[in-house]
Amino acid sequence: MDWNIDFTGEFFAFFLLAVCAIAGAVLAINFTKVVHTALSLAFTFVSLAGLYILLQAEFVAFVQVLLYVGAVTILMIFGIMMTKHQSEGREPGRPLLETLAAIGCLCLFGILFYAIRSASFPAPEAALPEDNVASIGMLLYSAYAIPFELVSVLLTVAFIGAVALAKREEEQP
Amino acid sequence: MQHYWNSPVTWGHAGIYLLGAIAVLAVVIFFVTYAIYFERKVIGWMQFRQGPNRTGPLGLLQTAADVAKLLMKEDTIPARADRVLFILAPVLAFVPSFLVLAIIPYGLNLQFADLNVGFLYYIALSGVTTIAIVVAGWASNNKYALLGGMRSAAQMISYEVPLVMSVVGVAMMTGSLNLRDIVIGQEGYFWHWNFIPQILGFAVFVIAAVSELNRTPFDLPEAESELVAGYHVEYSGFRFAFFMLSEYVYMYAIACLGTILFLGGWNPPLPQLDFIPGLIWFALKFACIVFFLFWIRATLPRLRVDQLMGLAWKVLLPIAIANIFLTALGIEWFG
Repeated sequence: MDWNIDFTGEFFAFFLLAVCAIAGAVLAINFTKVVHTALSLAFTFVSLAGLYILLQAEFVAFVQVLLYVGAVTILMIFGIMMTKHQSEGREPGRPLLETLAAIGCLCLFGILFYAIRSASFPAPEAALPEDNVASIGMLLYSAYAIPFELVSVLLTVAFIGAVALAKREEEQP
Repeated sequence: MQHYWNSPVTWGHAGIYLLGAIAVLAVVIFFVTYAIYFERKVIGWMQFRQGPNRTGPLGLLQTAADVAKLLMKEDTIPARADRVLFILAPVLAFVPSFLVLAIIPYGLNLQFADLNVGFLYYIALSGVTTIAIVVAGWASNNKYALLGGMRSAAQMISYEVPLVMSVVGVAMMTGSLNLRDIVIGQEGYFWHWNFIPQILGFAVFVIAAVSELNRTPFDLPEAESELVAGYHVEYSGFRFAFFMLSEYVYMYAIACLGTILFLGGWNPPLPQLDFIPGLIWFALKFACIVFFLFWIRATLPRLRVDQLMGLAWKVLLPIAIANIFLTALGIEWFG
């Protein structure tokens, strides 16, 4: 059987990162302590960033690490530490629900596998620009300036809302 | 190094990577050993003391002896600690600190990875160490360690924001985040270096960098007078050594970054001095920044915890944003 695989560095990197991403996600489901879950999620995020690098999207990759690992995971861990975690325990199993979930997962996997195998990946007409960060910047501030500004406004609103909420709690005796 | 990417993996290529990594590790370990020695000597002289002077000639072997002591110490793990995370945390702290060294250009052709998002790479990976510190504090199951870890997380996240903002001005002047391009953009006399047009950004960068390094006057996470030793109270032996090592490797990295972003990297101060190799200029500027870090450690008192966050959000961040506006205006008016 011909799998069309040539053993370049890229292949090994992809294989390793894919296994890491899946392992992190599976462990995140199986751990019982919440801190462990948060950390294995962070592990998955880092592996995904590695996959972005393989796709030559360095900017997306490092923003992924910066935001998801550097900010979101720390925020989660911070929140977990602020709360009590004495009463962590296993919920009793629900066999019917688990069977249904397993069947659903298998169906989803089948659909995805079929779609990916039957999809064709045409080669892009133009070669990727050498400095793709600069190109992203150019596009963001010329063709996509208005959506970019709208997202900025949205984030500012969320930010001011968070400050207002925190402020109100402070004023209560 | 990029051309190895698409070629088949051979033992030769893997060996080249391995040798390169080992060479960097050796340089870094040598730097850390003597940085600790000079730190103790410099602070000693500033405080009218001798500093280490017994082990070896002029005390030069003091750090080696200290490391040997740490490696031979008993390795203790508290009974109520979260064992796996307790063991994992020092590793998690050290690995990113070593990884960030991959993008640092020491000379025009002396660099491992030529990333076009060099600075972003540094910031992203240094965030992973923050997780390690919080996890170390939590896994120790000790309230002082937990407090130290929490403080550290809050401090490092807050100061990352002005640190990134302060470099935006530099990126705007060069039009690139690639560290090599940033240095090439500063060629010429020393007044072409970024620290003069970006003096506000440079000031914010230095303050935020000291805070990111958890060094005095921002060493609240380990404030020994109030928190015993912060997040690493329960650590001993080589695990403790790993935390210390990663702290000093970050010092190395941030001194390199300061040199590259603001002090012209390997460029000589006058083009006439070009006959001296760029690596020596790089090392000189690097040594100045490292000395500056020791100097403020010896002379400044520690901040209070309630002043710390106010400084980051109310002083440094507005200054950094003002710097971005001024840089934009400057580029618009003067080209």
